[in-house]
Amino acid sequence: MQKNTGMQRVALAVAKNFRLQPLAMGAAVAAVTVLVVLPIGSLLIGSVRSDDGFTLTQFHRVLSGRLYVQALLNSLTLGAWTGLFSIAIGVPLAWAVSRTNVPGKRLIQITANLSYLSPPFLTAIAFVYLFSPNAGLINILMRDVAGLPWLTFNIFSMAGLVIVTVIHTFPFVFLLASSALQSVDASYEEAAQILGAGKFRTALTITGPLVAPAILSGTLLAFVNAIALFGSQAIIGMPGRIFTLPTRLYSLFTYPPQYGLASALSLIFVAITILALYLQRAFLARRSYVTLGGKGSRPQLVDLGAARWGVFAFCAAILVVAIILPYATLIAVSFSKSWGLDFWHNLTFANYRFILVEYDVTQRAILNSLFLATSAALLAVLLGAVIGWIDLRSRMPGRKLLDYAALIPLGLPGIVMAVALIQFWLRMPLALYGTLSILLLAYVGRYIPLGVRAANTALRQIDPALEESAAILGAGWGRTMWEVTLPLIRPGLFAGWLLVFVPAIQELSASILLFSSSSITLAVAVYNLYETGHNEPVAALAIINVFIIGVAILIAGKLGGGRIGAKIGAPERTGVSA
Amino acid sequence: MAGIRIEGLSKTYGGKDTDMAAVSGLDLDIRDNQFVTLLGPSGCGKTTTLRLIAGYIKPDAGTIRVDDRLLSSVDGMVPPERRGMGMVFQNYAVWPHKTVFENVVFGLKLRKVPSAEAKQSVGKALELVNLSGLEGRYPNELSGGQQQRVALARSLVVEPDILLLDEPLSNLDAKLRERMRTELKQLQRRTGITFVYVTHDQAEALALSDHIAVIHGGRLQQYGTPNEVYAKPANKTVADFMGLINVLTAKVSGAGTVLLDNELALPVAPPPGCNPGEIVDLTVRPECIRLLPSSEGTGIIAATVSDQTFLGNLNEYYVTLKSGQTLRVQTHPRQRLSIGDSVGVAIDAAECSIFRREAASAL
Repeated sequence: MQKNTGMQRVALAVAKNFRLQPLAMGAAVAAVTVLVVLPIGSLLIGSVRSDDGFTLTQFHRVLSGRLYVQALLNSLTLGAWTGLFSIAIGVPLAWAVSRTNVPGKRLIQITANLSYLSPPFLTAIAFVYLFSPNAGLINILMRDVAGLPWLTFNIFSMAGLVIVTVIHTFPFVFLLASSALQSVDASYEEAAQILGAGKFRTALTITGPLVAPAILSGTLLAFVNAIALFGSQAIIGMPGRIFTLPTRLYSLFTYPPQYGLASALSLIFVAITILALYLQRAFLARRSYVTLGGKGSRPQLVDLGAARWGVFAFCAAILVVAIILPYATLIAVSFSKSWGLDFWHNLTFANYRFILVEYDVTQRAILNSLFLATSAALLAVLLGAVIGWIDLRSRMPGRKLLDYAALIPLGLPGIVMAVALIQFWLRMPLALYGTLSILLLAYVGRYIPLGVRAANTALRQIDPALEESAAILGAGWGRTMWEVTLPLIRPGLFAGWLLVFVPAIQELSASILLFSSSSITLAVAVYNLYETGHNEPVAALAIINVFIIGVAILIAGKLGGGRIGAKIGAPERTGVSA
Repeated sequence: MAGIRIEGLSKTYGGKDTDMAAVSGLDLDIRDNQFVTLLGPSGCGKTTTLRLIAGYIKPDAGTIRVDDRLLSSVDGMVPPERRGMGMVFQNYAVWPHKTVFENVVFGLKLRKVPSAEAKQSVGKALELVNLSGLEGRYPNELSGGQQQRVALARSLVVEPDILLLDEPLSNLDAKLRERMRTELKQLQRRTGITFVYVTHDQAEALALSDHIAVIHGGRLQQYGTPNEVYAKPANKTVADFMGLINVLTAKVSGAGTVLLDNELALPVAPPPGCNPGEIVDLTVRPECIRLLPSSEGTGIIAATVSDQTFLGNLNEYYVTLKSGQTLRVQTHPRQRLSIGDSVGVAIDAAECSIFRREAASAL
């Protein structure tokens, strides 16, 4: 009898669970399907479909056409140089911060975080103001004032593109390398030392191999992010006639749009990205042995003596070039009537008045972006929470598949996401193209992985027993989620929200193909103003963009409490950017 | 071979104001071919001492010499890589990116030993620690005990004069620990290497060592054979740390006796400087007390059994004296008593120690 009542109770509980849980799970599966799976599917179909069935013509055209092959080579060249320079900057900085007594360590960490957070296309624009061949301020100074024409620099070149990109990507190497260097157990090095190995030998045979996977992994992330950045490649590359995969894709959408070619080129782009990310995962997995020692001691810091000021100067130079120079320039330009040498006679608020009050397009762009970033971040995080919960707690068949599907966007450059969405929604009866909705879909789709990962991390930190004890007291699934799970993962979700908001408010790569005059976004407005030569208002709008990011970080930090502000600057966990 | 002489060794961590002395004024003479244990609770300075000997840290005062070679002093020190010592770490520190063979051969390569000879030496070292045949494995394919032995082989293959071991058994499970304990002791005897062994486990220290240095609060409390340290602790700290002990209140009654509960006279000499009538601490280990069926006779005091625990190989009783003082007593498992029984307590005076109260000795 007792057994029977027990069974009945279980049956009852199941019946109770039956309402909300499957609904939420079903919604999550449907969302991932619509946001990710179907658009990718139509990209695949679009690349091999012709009027009379299956064809590989598009791939043939892409792989034999000079324009496309050149774009591919340029992208790979850019990625390779960026990766190399990210190592050259990131590894010394990481070593200085984690292993030496260099002064100003906090400053170095802040530099890396700011470099990662700051919108790459804004840095690119700032560098154009300084180094465009004819009108760049530093070039004018060198050529016309100082009389040193050989000290001028043409930003519209591969070298310029690499510099502007590296500023954004070196933090990937820096953060992964410094965390690896810090987690190498000191006893590994001490064991080599007592056996007779000097400092150099120890670094070469023990420390180096131990942190190499982390450095390689950071380099691959730098590579993937570098080749996906539409903004800087359009701003720096196109004037210099250096076309890359994103800019070539963009040009395929000037009238008449060539969907088939764009799909094929997109898929090749995706293949490169996914291959790099796959390698990155493989390297990162090998990194696990760094922490094998566990509770060992921290390595002793190297006393650099007077040389530490030299190392500090190197770090300070990075700060100047990556942050101070571009932002000082943007601020200066934003208050200028006309950008040039007689800056102090030229001060004005007109640019801010223009973009905030007079010009309806920029007003609309700011409001659109605020709405898009806020809601996309919210949706991505909620969706992420459900997907994370399904993956970790439920026994739903195919839950691993769902998790993988939600991670696919990591391998999709923003512009490819846009191509896929256009392909898919053009075939649907719903007229979404050109509306805010399709931008929202693009943003949520792009940033689902961030939501999933934030929720996953948060959920892993809660003992399932906490949920089970609510269930044993009679709470249904919905009530357990609402009263136990969600409050517990709230700080993690706030962090996730910010993690999505920051890249979403500066999103350009996907928006550039999806916007219309009514659904224009902040970054697109910046780009369009820049393209039409409105240099000074561009700078003002750029400063507004950065201001919004700063305010969002402050607010989320206040609401979520704890270390959210610190979490945001951790690309090793996110792996994507604008 | 090599003996170690440590004189006035001090090391302070943190800022000058915080004054966190990890080791202060340590003198220690470790003779050649000895198995010496530095024993103490965590944070007592024993690991710091070991790392000072290895040369990972520089002393704030004092010197370390091996034979007559000055290795460490305030003015300078020989770096670890030129000390020719071996060290086994608590977490083994077996390099995860190298195979067992590559781990062990590392030191030989640095010494430019020809590869054929090196291969032979590695084979021998692995045989010594019972790991033959695992040369090609990576550390993550080994158990904790096996990794431990790789670490040992790696240190032994270069034939150091001195081997430093930092709690090498603390991460192993109880059974394996016992086995490795035996192996370590045999290894030390066979090789004649001077072992300096750090542990917080007094049983391990008693079982392994020729000499034990008990360290507490950064200071050396006692340095002697296991027997001396256990049976004749130099102070209450040592007595308390080396296993179970009863601390009782007694009164000095004459030059050679103390009085327990104003009743039982024990012929134990109080430490010099004690005045008759002074209250002192009397320590005695549970196994040095006998329980008798009656309290008749001299040298016996009456008590009541207040608690009893059967531990298999022995019986443990708590008995309460009339004054309320409680003694922990360990007896043969066959001796069965019940709670509430009246018994006689006989204390082996030769195994007792007397310590002055801190306030009294400070006077």
